[in-house]
Amino acid sequence: MNKQDWKILLVDDEREFITTLAERLDLRGIATRVVFDGESALSAVAEEEPQVMILDVLMPGIKGLEVLERVKRTNPNVQVLLLTGHGSTRDGIEGMRLGAFDYMMKPLNIDTLIEKMESAIDYAEKAAKLGQ
Amino acid sequence: MREALFMGRLTAQATHEMQNILATIRETAGLMDDLLAMGGGQFVHAERFKQGLDVVAQQVGRGMELSEQLNYCAHAPEPSPAGCEVNEALRSLCVLYTRIAARHRVLLGLVPGRAGLHTDLRGMEVMDLAALALDCALPLLERDTDLRLVVQEQGGLPVVLLRGASFDDLCRRTEFLPLSDRARGLGVILRAGPDGQGLALTLPLARG
Repeated sequence: MNKQDWKILLVDDEREFITTLAERLDLRGIATRVVFDGESALSAVAEEEPQVMILDVLMPGIKGLEVLERVKRTNPNVQVLLLTGHGSTRDGIEGMRLGAFDYMMKPLNIDTLIEKMESAIDYAEKAAKLGQ
Repeated sequence: MREALFMGRLTAQATHEMQNILATIRETAGLMDDLLAMGGGQFVHAERFKQGLDVVAQQVGRGMELSEQLNYCAHAPEPSPAGCEVNEALRSLCVLYTRIAARHRVLLGLVPGRAGLHTDLRGMEVMDLAALALDCALPLLERDTDLRLVVQEQGGLPVVLLRGASFDDLCRRTEFLPLSDRARGLGVILRAGPDGQGLALTLPLARG
């Protein structure tokens, strides 16, 4: 699948960080949708299912791990990449247990992020084929 | 201890914020780098601009390292059933003690031991003890000494070695008494290092 066709949802309450990341992905031909809290993330997933969700673990309101749990219940095909900090690597490991595809520590390396997004999309496509 | 836990909680929150700030700076510098690369060499000062962005990236890396170790420090007073990982505690101390060592013109580093080497002590206690040993040794060292805290496992027990000065000289320092008192209080064996050089701290094994 071409990068232009990827459906990516970015979720982080750090607005400057996540909108800049979206802009950098856009420069690489990857369009994204950006939301700033867990509740909006759940609505966005319900409206249009993304293939990959980049999800910050520590957000005010609904926490990242709760968003992950709820999304995996309603939309198991969505692959979730968690964003963690050095104080929250345990959350990353817990996230993997809850069904996250992988987790990454901030600050990000954009090339590594794109590689992980690509792997997540490949995995989702293979899983969908097996499920058919 | 309540105060240390309270300060730790505040510090952990602050380091999380610092991490978000640094991540945003890095992403913004990355965007500027992207835009510069797309400019097709039109910008006269492109080379200098790129150098500036590289400095920003380096400084963000430096900030991340400090923030990471400060975050470790924030959690160091917390008790853990598994005990504390000795290398992690000393790595944090070495990073945060760099400037103190530099005041004595000493370069401080860590030679880690086996990964996963745990002691029954809290992270804060290991750091405090090693810091007392450093306070004792630093004034005795010659300029530009490369001082290493060495972690080893001897007879199944974690041992921290500090070389660079003779044990006899260390014993004469006023800082030695609080160090030996603290070691005794924590159940740590304090003795001379190999060949009477430096000192060795044998830490109690983790019960978990």
